[in-house]
Amino acid sequence: MTRVGAATLAVVLTLGSSSPLAYLKLGAIVNGRVVDATWQQQPIGYFISEHPGNGVTPMDLLGAAERATATWSGVESARVRFAFQGMTAAPAEGIDGKTVLGFIDRPDLDRVLAATSFMIDTTTGEIAEADIFFNSRFAFSVAPNGQAERVDLESVVLHELGHLLGLGHSAIGETERSSGGNRRVVGSGSIMFPIAMTAGATADRVLQADDVAGISDLYPGPSTLDSGGIVGRVTKNGQGVMGAHVVAFNPETGILVGNFTLNAAGDFVIARLPAGPYILRAEPIDDAEPDSFFPSAIDTDFRVTYAPRMVVAPRGGSSAPIEIRVLPK
Amino acid sequence: MTSALGKGFGETRWLLSVFAAVLIAAWPDTAGAQEAPALRAHHFTLGGGAVWSGGYDIGERTAQLRGNAAGAEAPPFTLFTSDSRITPAASPELRVGFAVTRLVALEFGLTMSQPHVEVAIAGDAEAPRQLLSGEKLEQYLFGGNVTWQLPLEINKRLAPFASGGVAFLRQLHEDRTLAETGQIYHAGGGARYFLKGGYGTDRLFGLRGEARVNLRRNGIDFENKMRIYPTLSLSVFIGL
Repeated sequence: MTRVGAATLAVVLTLGSSSPLAYLKLGAIVNGRVVDATWQQQPIGYFISEHPGNGVTPMDLLGAAERATATWSGVESARVRFAFQGMTAAPAEGIDGKTVLGFIDRPDLDRVLAATSFMIDTTTGEIAEADIFFNSRFAFSVAPNGQAERVDLESVVLHELGHLLGLGHSAIGETERSSGGNRRVVGSGSIMFPIAMTAGATADRVLQADDVAGISDLYPGPSTLDSGGIVGRVTKNGQGVMGAHVVAFNPETGILVGNFTLNAAGDFVIARLPAGPYILRAEPIDDAEPDSFFPSAIDTDFRVTYAPRMVVAPRGGSSAPIEIRVLPK
Repeated sequence: MTSALGKGFGETRWLLSVFAAVLIAAWPDTAGAQEAPALRAHHFTLGGGAVWSGGYDIGERTAQLRGNAAGAEAPPFTLFTSDSRITPAASPELRVGFAVTRLVALEFGLTMSQPHVEVAIAGDAEAPRQLLSGEKLEQYLFGGNVTWQLPLEINKRLAPFASGGVAFLRQLHEDRTLAETGQIYHAGGGARYFLKGGYGTDRLFGLRGEARVNLRRNGIDFENKMRIYPTLSLSVFIGL
């Protein structure tokens, strides 16, 4: 088996501005085709590093990891299982055949709370190993109701496990700029939003509809047969828009699920939606750094635009294509 | 959305007024004590015409993001609000009737209409208020109705009646990708205007107008509420 370590393929949860790769699902190029990067062997075994964190112990991390893995495994429409393999002296980085979650002091990454790195089999797209490090520069908490000035560890573990499973960042969220220039989240529709909530917040211990749709798309369970998809295109002056964020809102259930246009033609697919009618809203990525989602340039010069009509995600199929015509700002 | 709804109900009131005016105009000044025309007992009638259905709300919902504050609960952030309604629509109608007595008839009807689902978007900090009106439904109604001719002797051609019934509702979203079903309970009244027959054994032929108040249960609705809307119908009927 030819394995190429992708130690530089890392997705991070930040406190403000920042970098890396990813979009809704992580991809690997296999024989010239982009395929979903997923775990093909389950349960996914993981170790907890014995290195302590800032204000928390390795056992605290184990407890948070057990709760977060149970949250992902509890998604009824997906098949995800984890198995704790034990404590380890190995660090949460490097290629060693172990998937390790642990604390590492990285003062150089002064805005990165945590990051996930992968080793991917480039012949199949299978994730062979992944590590999650939590930056000891930050003070974490495992208090049931959160703790002021400390970042909730379980929320961060849940986010990073989403990456470990193959999810990229979601753009369903709104931010505001602080006086220091950093972004502050004012609301998010996914625990996979790239910027963490305020220290002390614990709401992101619970998955949202966007997270459930994403994990169900990667690891479909039996009930996903009842779900449907919406396909379409975002255009500006007749040309496709690359990198537009399209959010589907179900006015009956209130759920929000998003995805991006991922090619120059402006095509998008929002999969694994509960069947029903949806309102579609296309927006430029302006609530986080575009490179939190895309490694290359995208078009952000257009106004928020709604699809001209509601679109139905049919049970077990996809909608007829809908075009959303946006205008320049 | 307020303006859109106001426009819809305004239109409904206007059409009701026109309908009432037509009925009143059909009442001749010479109305007096004379036997009213009626259906032939134990005979069928066939009818066809048009129905206008008023619009109605199907629910308001706010797209909310999880708020950011210490603890597990924070006030949500509103992305936008949607206020949806079914638009008024006109449709053809087919009706088969059976006169149980001269005054009481059972009727079975079928209508097919294509209303739109109209969505008013508001409260979006990054987009103006707007109306999305593109989704066209296919809506089928099949149901039964009882009419009772009122014991009023107004005119030798005109026979007013009261009515009530129930119908099965089937609504298909655009592209026929998803269907929803419901029930309609209705009550109302109208009149048959006999252009021919109505007495003895003459073959019947005439006009039939009816106004109904409908109570819709289930079907496309984002709040799963009962909805009330009016319908007006005008058709011709022929006795068999």
